[in-house]
Amino acid sequence: MITCVGLTVGARLPDLRIPISAKTIVMGAAASRDWQPQHHDSAWARDSAGLPDIIMNNYTQAGFFCRYVTDWSGPDGRIGRFKFAMKKPICPGDEILLQGVVEGVLPSVNGYSWVDIIIKALVDGALATSAEVRLALPNTASSPSPWRCARALWAP
Amino acid sequence: MIETALPPQVSQWLGKPVIVIEHVVTAEVGLWLNFCVAVQDANPLYWNYAAALGRTEAVIAPPAMLPSWGIPHDWSPGAEGPPLRTLELHFMVKDALGLPNGLVTEVEFELHDPIRAGDSVRVEQILKEVSPPRQTRLGHGRNWTIDVVYRKPGDILAGVQTLRFLGYRKAP
Repeated sequence: MITCVGLTVGARLPDLRIPISAKTIVMGAAASRDWQPQHHDSAWARDSAGLPDIIMNNYTQAGFFCRYVTDWSGPDGRIGRFKFAMKKPICPGDEILLQGVVEGVLPSVNGYSWVDIIIKALVDGALATSAEVRLALPNTASSPSPWRCARALWAP
Repeated sequence: MIETALPPQVSQWLGKPVIVIEHVVTAEVGLWLNFCVAVQDANPLYWNYAAALGRTEAVIAPPAMLPSWGIPHDWSPGAEGPPLRTLELHFMVKDALGLPNGLVTEVEFELHDPIRAGDSVRVEQILKEVSPPRQTRLGHGRNWTIDVVYRKPGDILAGVQTLRFLGYRKAP
Protein backbone atom coordinates (compact mmCIF):
# COMPACT_ATOMS: atom_id res chain seq x y z
CA MET A 1 0.00 0.00 0.00
CA ILE A 2 1.40 3.37 -1.03
CA THR A 3 0.80 6.36 1.28
CA CYS A 4 2.24 9.84 1.34
CA VAL A 5 4.81 8.84 3.96
CA GLY A 6 8.20 9.41 2.38
CA LEU A 7 6.70 10.20 -1.01
CA THR A 8 8.61 13.01 -2.67
CA VAL A 9 8.63 14.90 -5.92
CA GLY A 10 10.64 12.99 -8.48
CA ALA A 11 9.62 9.53 -7.25
CA ARG A 12 9.21 7.23 -10.22
CA LEU A 13 6.48 4.72 -10.87
CA PRO A 14 7.66 1.35 -12.20
CA ASP A 15 7.78 1.21 -16.00
CA LEU A 16 5.02 -0.80 -17.64
CA ARG A 17 5.29 -2.34 -21.11
CA ILE A 18 2.06 -3.23 -22.90
CA PRO A 19 2.10 -5.12 -26.22
CA ILE A 20 -0.81 -3.94 -28.38
CA SER A 21 -2.68 -6.29 -30.71
CA ALA A 22 -5.77 -5.77 -32.85
CA LYS A 23 -7.62 -7.66 -30.12
CA THR A 24 -6.50 -5.13 -27.49
CA ILE A 25 -7.81 -2.23 -29.58
CA VAL A 26 -11.08 -3.84 -30.66
CA MET A 27 -11.81 -5.19 -27.18
CA GLY A 28 -11.19 -1.78 -25.60
CA ALA A 29 -13.38 0.00 -28.13
CA ALA A 30 -16.21 -2.52 -27.82
CA ALA A 31 -16.08 -2.58 -24.02
CA SER A 32 -16.22 1.22 -23.93
CA ARG A 33 -19.16 1.10 -26.37
CA ASP A 34 -17.29 3.06 -29.04
CA TRP A 35 -18.27 1.87 -32.51
CA GLN A 36 -16.43 4.42 -34.61
CA PRO A 37 -14.90 2.47 -37.52
CA GLN A 38 -11.31 3.59 -37.01
CA HIS A 39 -11.24 1.40 -33.90
CA HIS A 40 -12.32 -1.90 -35.51
CA ASP A 41 -12.23 -1.68 -39.32
CA SER A 42 -8.69 -1.81 -40.73
CA ALA A 43 -9.71 -1.18 -44.33
CA TRP A 44 -11.79 1.85 -43.37
CA ALA A 45 -9.01 3.20 -41.14
CA ARG A 46 -6.46 2.98 -43.95
CA ASP A 47 -8.55 3.86 -46.98
CA SER A 48 -11.02 6.42 -45.60
CA ALA A 49 -9.19 7.98 -42.67
CA GLY A 50 -5.62 7.81 -43.93
CA LEU A 51 -4.47 6.04 -40.78
CA PRO A 52 -1.81 3.32 -40.72
CA ASP A 53 -4.32 0.81 -39.25
CA ILE A 54 -7.03 0.73 -36.60
CA ILE A 55 -6.10 2.98 -33.67
CA MET A 56 -6.65 2.71 -29.92
CA ASN A 57 -9.57 4.89 -28.80
CA ASN A 58 -9.18 7.52 -26.13
CA TYR A 59 -11.26 5.61 -23.53
CA THR A 60 -8.94 2.61 -23.74
CA GLN A 61 -5.91 4.85 -23.41
CA ALA A 62 -7.56 6.44 -20.36
CA GLY A 63 -8.15 2.95 -18.97
CA PHE A 64 -4.47 2.08 -19.31
CA PHE A 65 -3.41 5.32 -17.57
CA CYS A 66 -5.79 4.75 -14.67
CA ARG A 67 -4.67 1.14 -14.35
CA TYR A 68 -1.01 2.19 -14.38
CA VAL A 69 -1.53 4.60 -11.51
CA THR A 70 -3.68 2.33 -9.32
CA ASP A 71 -1.44 -0.70 -9.99
CA TRP A 72 1.17 1.42 -8.17
CA SER A 73 -1.00 3.02 -5.49
CA GLY A 74 -3.28 0.11 -4.63
CA PRO A 75 -7.05 0.45 -4.27
CA ASP A 76 -6.91 3.31 -1.75
CA GLY A 77 -5.55 5.55 -4.48
CA ARG A 78 -8.51 7.57 -5.73
CA ILE A 79 -8.15 9.44 -9.01
CA GLY A 80 -9.71 12.89 -8.81
CA ARG A 81 -8.65 14.32 -12.11
CA PHE A 82 -6.73 13.29 -15.18
CA LYS A 83 -6.04 14.60 -18.64
CA PHE A 84 -4.19 13.41 -21.68
CA ALA A 85 -3.20 14.55 -25.14
CA MET A 86 -2.70 12.13 -28.00
CA LYS A 87 0.25 12.94 -30.26
CA LYS A 88 0.54 9.79 -32.40
CA PRO A 89 -1.91 6.93 -33.03
CA ILE A 90 -1.39 3.61 -31.26
CA CYS A 91 -1.84 0.65 -33.62
CA PRO A 92 -1.65 -3.17 -33.60
CA GLY A 93 1.94 -4.34 -33.31
CA ASP A 94 3.00 -1.38 -31.18
CA GLU A 95 4.38 -1.80 -27.68
CA ILE A 96 3.52 0.99 -25.26
CA LEU A 97 6.04 1.90 -22.59
CA LEU A 98 4.41 3.79 -19.72
CA GLN A 99 6.67 5.89 -17.52
CA GLY A 100 5.41 7.98 -14.61
CA VAL A 101 6.94 10.41 -12.16
CA VAL A 102 5.53 12.27 -9.16
CA GLU A 103 5.48 15.95 -10.00
CA GLY A 104 3.83 17.31 -6.88
CA VAL A 105 2.54 16.38 -3.42
CA LEU A 106 0.02 18.93 -2.23
CA PRO A 107 -0.74 19.75 1.42
CA SER A 108 -2.98 17.36 3.30
CA VAL A 109 -6.77 17.73 3.43
CA ASN A 110 -9.17 15.48 5.31
CA GLY A 111 -6.57 12.77 5.94
CA TYR A 112 -5.36 12.48 2.37
CA SER A 113 -3.08 14.40 0.03
CA TRP A 114 -3.21 15.07 -3.68
CA VAL A 115 -0.35 13.60 -5.66
CA ASP A 116 0.25 14.87 -9.20
CA ILE A 117 1.78 12.35 -11.58
CA ILE A 118 3.10 12.97 -15.08
CA ILE A 119 2.91 10.00 -17.46
CA LYS A 120 4.45 9.41 -20.86
CA ALA A 121 3.22 6.70 -23.22
CA LEU A 122 6.09 5.96 -25.57
CA VAL A 123 6.06 3.85 -28.72
CA ASP A 124 9.48 3.08 -30.23
CA GLY A 125 10.91 5.84 -28.07
CA ALA A 126 8.54 8.49 -29.44
CA LEU A 127 5.86 10.16 -27.35
CA ALA A 128 2.46 8.78 -28.37
CA THR A 129 0.40 10.30 -25.54
CA SER A 130 1.17 12.51 -22.56
CA ALA A 131 -0.98 12.40 -19.44
CA GLU A 132 -1.35 14.00 -16.02
CA VAL A 133 -3.16 12.33 -13.12
CA ARG A 134 -4.17 13.87 -9.79
CA LEU A 135 -4.48 11.08 -7.26
CA ALA A 136 -5.66 11.19 -3.64
CA LEU A 137 -3.52 9.04 -1.35
CA PRO A 138 -3.90 8.41 2.38
CA ASN A 139 -1.42 10.44 4.40
CA THR A 140 -0.39 7.42 6.49
CA ALA A 141 -1.29 3.76 6.77
CA SER A 142 -3.78 4.63 9.53
CA SER A 143 -5.45 7.48 7.62
CA PRO A 144 -8.93 6.90 6.20
CA SER A 145 -9.16 5.87 2.57
CA PRO A 146 -9.88 8.85 0.28
CA TRP A 147 -12.86 6.82 -0.90
CA ARG A 148 -14.44 7.53 2.51
CA CYS A 149 -14.32 11.29 1.95
CA ALA A 150 -17.76 12.84 2.27
CA ARG A 151 -19.25 13.79 -1.08
CA ALA A 152 -19.50 17.46 -0.09
CA LEU A 153 -15.81 17.61 0.84
CA TRP A 154 -14.47 15.90 -2.30
CA ALA A 155 -12.99 18.69 -4.42
CA PRO A 156 -10.66 17.41 -7.15
CA MET B 1 -10.57 31.21 -45.65
CA ILE B 2 -13.38 30.87 -43.14
CA GLU B 3 -15.61 33.59 -41.73
CA THR B 4 -14.28 35.37 -38.63
CA ALA B 5 -17.73 35.78 -37.05
CA LEU B 6 -19.33 32.72 -35.54
CA PRO B 7 -22.47 31.49 -37.29
CA PRO B 8 -25.49 32.62 -35.18
CA GLN B 9 -26.45 29.00 -34.58
CA VAL B 10 -23.08 28.27 -32.98
CA SER B 11 -23.23 31.45 -30.87
CA GLN B 12 -26.61 30.31 -29.55
CA TRP B 13 -25.15 26.98 -28.46
CA LEU B 14 -22.47 28.54 -26.27
CA GLY B 15 -22.74 27.92 -22.53
CA LYS B 16 -25.89 25.80 -22.45
CA PRO B 17 -26.71 22.10 -22.73
CA VAL B 18 -27.38 21.47 -26.41
CA ILE B 19 -27.45 17.69 -26.37
CA VAL B 20 -29.01 15.93 -23.38
CA ILE B 21 -29.02 12.15 -23.14
CA GLU B 22 -31.21 10.66 -20.42
CA HIS B 23 -30.15 7.46 -18.66
CA VAL B 24 -29.71 5.25 -21.74
CA VAL B 25 -27.62 2.47 -20.19
CA THR B 26 -27.69 0.79 -16.79
CA ALA B 27 -24.21 0.08 -15.46
CA GLU B 28 -23.60 -3.61 -14.82
CA VAL B 29 -20.57 -5.42 -13.44
CA GLY B 30 -20.28 -7.69 -16.48
CA LEU B 31 -20.11 -4.70 -18.81
CA TRP B 32 -17.30 -3.01 -16.94
CA LEU B 33 -15.34 -6.24 -16.39
CA ASN B 34 -15.09 -6.53 -20.19
CA PHE B 35 -13.26 -3.19 -20.07
CA CYS B 36 -11.05 -4.33 -17.18
CA VAL B 37 -10.12 -7.38 -19.24
CA ALA B 38 -9.24 -5.19 -22.23
CA VAL B 39 -6.80 -3.08 -20.20
CA GLN B 40 -5.88 -5.91 -17.79
CA ASP B 41 -6.86 -3.84 -14.75
CA ALA B 42 -6.84 -5.93 -11.56
CA ASN B 43 -8.00 -3.12 -9.22
CA PRO B 44 -10.07 -5.05 -6.63
CA LEU B 45 -12.56 -2.18 -6.37
CA TYR B 46 -13.87 -3.26 -9.79
CA TRP B 47 -13.84 -7.01 -9.16
CA ASN B 48 -14.01 -7.88 -5.47
CA TYR B 49 -17.01 -7.04 -3.29
CA ALA B 50 -15.13 -7.79 -0.05
CA ALA B 51 -12.28 -5.43 -0.96
CA ALA B 52 -14.70 -2.74 -2.10
CA LEU B 53 -16.98 -2.90 0.93
CA GLY B 54 -14.89 -0.76 3.29
CA ARG B 55 -13.97 1.76 0.63
CA THR B 56 -16.74 2.21 -1.91
CA GLU B 57 -19.49 0.09 -0.29
CA ALA B 58 -19.81 -2.03 -3.44
CA VAL B 59 -17.74 -2.69 -6.54
CA ILE B 60 -17.46 0.31 -8.83
CA ALA B 61 -16.90 0.87 -12.53
CA PRO B 62 -13.48 2.01 -13.81
CA PRO B 63 -13.49 5.82 -14.01
CA ALA B 64 -12.26 5.81 -17.61
CA MET B 65 -15.60 4.25 -18.55
CA LEU B 66 -17.67 7.21 -17.38
CA PRO B 67 -18.47 8.40 -20.93
CA SER B 68 -19.44 4.89 -21.96
CA TRP B 69 -22.54 5.00 -19.76
CA GLY B 70 -23.84 7.92 -21.78
CA ILE B 71 -23.50 6.37 -25.23
CA PRO B 72 -26.91 5.30 -26.56
CA HIS B 73 -27.26 1.70 -27.68
CA ASP B 74 -26.18 1.29 -31.27
CA TRP B 75 -29.52 -0.42 -31.89
CA SER B 76 -32.64 -0.70 -29.78
CA PRO B 77 -36.14 -2.04 -30.40
CA GLY B 78 -38.36 0.41 -32.19
CA ALA B 79 -35.69 3.08 -32.60
CA GLU B 80 -35.96 5.07 -35.81
CA GLY B 81 -33.10 6.69 -37.68
CA PRO B 82 -29.40 6.41 -36.97
CA PRO B 83 -28.17 6.59 -33.37
CA LEU B 84 -26.58 9.82 -32.14
CA ARG B 85 -22.92 10.03 -33.02
CA THR B 86 -20.52 9.77 -30.08
CA LEU B 87 -20.25 13.36 -28.85
CA GLU B 88 -22.90 14.61 -31.24
CA LEU B 89 -22.33 18.28 -30.31
CA HIS B 90 -18.78 18.14 -31.66
CA PHE B 91 -20.04 17.02 -35.06
CA MET B 92 -22.76 19.69 -35.02
CA VAL B 93 -20.14 22.40 -34.36
CA LYS B 94 -17.80 21.03 -37.01
CA ASP B 95 -20.59 20.93 -39.58
CA ALA B 96 -21.91 24.39 -38.68
CA LEU B 97 -18.42 25.87 -39.04
CA GLY B 98 -17.93 24.14 -42.39
CA LEU B 99 -14.80 22.37 -41.22
CA PRO B 100 -14.55 18.87 -42.70
CA ASN B 101 -11.79 17.58 -40.41
CA GLY B 102 -11.65 17.44 -36.64
CA LEU B 103 -9.47 15.90 -33.98
CA VAL B 104 -9.32 15.78 -30.21
CA THR B 105 -6.31 17.66 -28.88
CA GLU B 106 -6.85 17.03 -25.15
CA VAL B 107 -9.26 15.13 -22.92
CA GLU B 108 -9.69 15.95 -19.23
CA PHE B 109 -11.78 14.27 -16.55
CA GLU B 110 -12.85 15.56 -13.13
CA LEU B 111 -14.19 12.61 -11.16
CA HIS B 112 -16.76 12.71 -8.39
CA ASP B 113 -19.19 10.01 -7.24
CA PRO B 114 -18.21 6.59 -8.67
CA ILE B 115 -20.57 4.53 -10.82
CA ARG B 116 -21.97 1.40 -9.18
CA ALA B 117 -24.08 -1.42 -10.61
CA GLY B 118 -27.62 -0.18 -11.24
CA ASP B 119 -26.55 3.44 -11.79
CA SER B 120 -27.20 5.33 -14.98
CA VAL B 121 -26.24 8.83 -16.05
CA ARG B 122 -27.86 11.93 -17.49
CA VAL B 123 -25.47 13.54 -19.95
CA GLU B 124 -25.29 17.21 -20.90
CA GLN B 125 -23.02 18.34 -23.75
CA ILE B 126 -22.15 22.04 -23.42
CA LEU B 127 -20.14 24.13 -25.88
CA LYS B 128 -17.79 26.20 -23.69
CA GLU B 129 -15.81 28.25 -26.20
CA VAL B 130 -14.82 28.59 -29.84
CA SER B 131 -11.59 30.31 -30.89
CA PRO B 132 -11.23 32.81 -33.71
CA PRO B 133 -10.12 31.28 -37.00
CA ARG B 134 -6.42 30.54 -37.17
CA GLN B 135 -3.85 28.95 -39.40
CA THR B 136 -2.56 25.61 -38.13
CA ARG B 137 -0.02 23.11 -39.39
CA LEU B 138 -2.90 21.03 -40.76
CA GLY B 139 -4.86 23.84 -42.36
CA HIS B 140 -7.10 26.82 -41.56
CA GLY B 141 -9.49 26.15 -38.69
CA ARG B 142 -10.68 26.82 -35.17
CA ASN B 143 -10.38 25.29 -31.71
CA TRP B 144 -13.36 24.60 -29.50
CA THR B 145 -14.03 23.13 -26.07
CA ILE B 146 -16.96 20.97 -25.00
CA ASP B 147 -17.85 20.03 -21.42
CA VAL B 148 -19.79 16.83 -20.89
CA VAL B 149 -21.46 16.67 -17.47
CA TYR B 150 -22.51 13.27 -16.09
CA ARG B 151 -25.09 13.10 -13.31
CA LYS B 152 -26.48 10.05 -11.56
CA PRO B 153 -30.11 9.79 -10.39
CA GLY B 154 -30.78 12.30 -7.64
CA ASP B 155 -28.70 14.86 -9.52
CA ILE B 156 -25.49 13.45 -7.99
CA LEU B 157 -22.46 14.61 -9.95
CA ALA B 158 -20.46 11.66 -11.30
CA GLY B 159 -17.95 13.69 -13.28
CA VAL B 160 -17.16 16.26 -15.92
CA GLN B 161 -15.28 15.49 -19.11
CA THR B 162 -13.69 18.39 -20.97
CA LEU B 163 -12.69 17.81 -24.58
CA ARG B 164 -10.63 20.23 -26.62
CA PHE B 165 -10.84 19.98 -30.41
CA LEU B 166 -9.22 21.32 -33.50
CA GLY B 167 -11.45 21.55 -36.57
CA TYR B 168 -9.77 22.41 -39.85
CA ARG B 169 -9.90 22.40 -43.60
CA LYS B 170 -6.85 20.69 -45.07
CA ALA B 171 -4.34 23.04 -46.62
CA PRO B 172 -4.37 22.64 -50.43
